[in-house]
Amino acid sequence: MKRFLILTKAMTLMHLRNGYVLFWNFTFPVLLMFIYGAVMSQYMDYMTPGVIVLNALSFGLVSSSTMMLEMREKSVLRRLQATPLPAVQLIGSYLLVNVIIGVLQSTLIILAGVVLYDVPVTATSLLLSYPMILAGMLAFMALGGIISGMAAKAGSATAVGMTIYFLLMFISDMVFPLDMLPDWLRNVVPYLPAYPVVQLVRSAMLEATLDPKWLTHLFLLAAYGIGATFIAAKLFRWEPKA
Amino acid sequence: MSKPIIDAQNLTAAYGSITALKGVSLSVEKGEIFGLLGPNGAGKSTLLACVEGLHKPNQGSVHIGGINVQSDSTATKRQLGIQLQRTALMDDLTVAELVEVYAALYEVYLTSGQINDLLARFDLVEKRNVLARRLSGGQQQRLALAVAIANDPQIVLLDEPTSALDPHARRAVWDIVRQLHDEGRTIVLTTHAMEEAEALCGRIAIIDRGQIVACDTPAALIANLQLNSMLKATVELPLDQVRSLPDVSNARYTGQHLEMETARPEVTLTALHELAGRSGRSIRDVMLRQPNLEDVFLKLTGHALAESN
Ligand SMILES: Nc1ncnc2c1ncn2[C@@H]1O[C@H](COP(=O)(O)OP(=O)(O)OP(=O)(O)O)[C@@H](O)[C@H]1O
Ligand SMILES: [Mg+2]
Repeated sequence: MKRFLILTKAMTLMHLRNGYVLFWNFTFPVLLMFIYGAVMSQYMDYMTPGVIVLNALSFGLVSSSTMMLEMREKSVLRRLQATPLPAVQLIGSYLLVNVIIGVLQSTLIILAGVVLYDVPVTATSLLLSYPMILAGMLAFMALGGIISGMAAKAGSATAVGMTIYFLLMFISDMVFPLDMLPDWLRNVVPYLPAYPVVQLVRSAMLEATLDPKWLTHLFLLAAYGIGATFIAAKLFRWEPKA
Repeated sequence: MSKPIIDAQNLTAAYGSITALKGVSLSVEKGEIFGLLGPNGAGKSTLLACVEGLHKPNQGSVHIGGINVQSDSTATKRQLGIQLQRTALMDDLTVAELVEVYAALYEVYLTSGQINDLLARFDLVEKRNVLARRLSGGQQQRLALAVAIANDPQIVLLDEPTSALDPHARRAVWDIVRQLHDEGRTIVLTTHAMEEAEALCGRIAIIDRGQIVACDTPAALIANLQLNSMLKATVELPLDQVRSLPDVSNARYTGQHLEMETARPEVTLTALHELAGRSGRSIRDVMLRQPNLEDVFLKLTGHALAESN
């Protein structure tokens, strides 16, 4: 346990001292709010949950892996592999730090919404929203783990992650309503990983209730999360591909 | 002899289609400084990686203190202090933080005083709170050494610990290695500098193209080949003419120096003077030296240590 704590402290310091990581993690979410606010300030009540999921998606698929990929590329992971530290502890510690970063990002977005655009939140709506955000974030991070495992280089992982992010962003009811989509796509979207998170967070934040189909949504997310974790663990590599 | 502390048997290791080790066996005794001497690409790092549990050999086995690396790598890793060839620490951490973390990964928890003592050995105390990536190359190499022994290991594996260092810093590392040895630790280090192997190591394995071609004390390696003395001179003469001089068994150029292996240096030198006189060349910087590991390497492999595999 002491080992895990010291390692986690080190992981936290590394994230905080890396200017690039810090910028993307803490400026990007607020920037998103400014951009959406500038375009549609009257709809920010409705938009804020969408922006939270949007951010969670880019964080889970791309940013949350940045430091891990950097450590893999610079042979830091190989040096860690030479110690008796179990891989589960390394990954656990890394995930813990990143989940905390993700939750802080979501809090920043909510704060920006409340302060800049008078988005109404209550204790109940927040209490309901956070678990939903967390569930989505974990599933997205697991999917990001698959991308990092498959990609040969950090650059290609980012490219793949960004592509999936953009696709899901446009079709998952985050920024464009679902009825703008063609029929066939509208039938597929509910089974993709981002859509259920949008529904869950939106009803939690805006109405302080569970979405009528919350059980289905959570079940789907769990399936994605657990499945992806399993695959990501299989694909985990200590070294970059030769 | 007692049971070896590191025992590698018949290791074959490959990266895809490249075979890096071809049936290497090696045993290191407790408390010795053991050197792996070989040119670039010989397989030194791969051999260490097999011992460290970082590379899975295709064939053969490694035991550390009687424990099989493949079946219980956590237990064998625990006994080792490691410096990899490419220093790859978390360089957004400070010097003191790094030492603390790497010791903790072995479940060794250092106090701030202990961290200071360790850093003092490597002349890094003033750099305590400096980020690792702000250190100079030599300082980073010393930090890598400090990190390697942060867990107080009985076996220390150093992959080219002095490659990036100037001569002064290199001697400082030699002193540290000797200290570690005096404390009773077993040390295995790789190098392609023969003077380093000669200066530090009790025993040396000469490794070339994935095979160990000889393994003994430096003195025995030299004595066993019964090499003659080496006569060195600065002069430009055709090698075939030099080779036919009396008593010359071999000749080569290293840079502009002519090196001749000879059983009777005084006879050869006289003949060399005559040859130079006939060719209108002058001889400078004549010197006689004992055969060294470089000569052994050349004799055993047919190529110089500086030529990569
Ligand atoms: N990760 C790798 N992928 C592919 N080939 C590799 C890899 N590492 C080493 N090799 C190859 O294996 C052979 C042995 O390499 P190794 O690094 O063990 O040599 P070395 O003796 O340590 O050399 P050097 O003195 O340059 O460090 C070389 O031919 C090298 O090209
Ligand atoms: Mg090497």
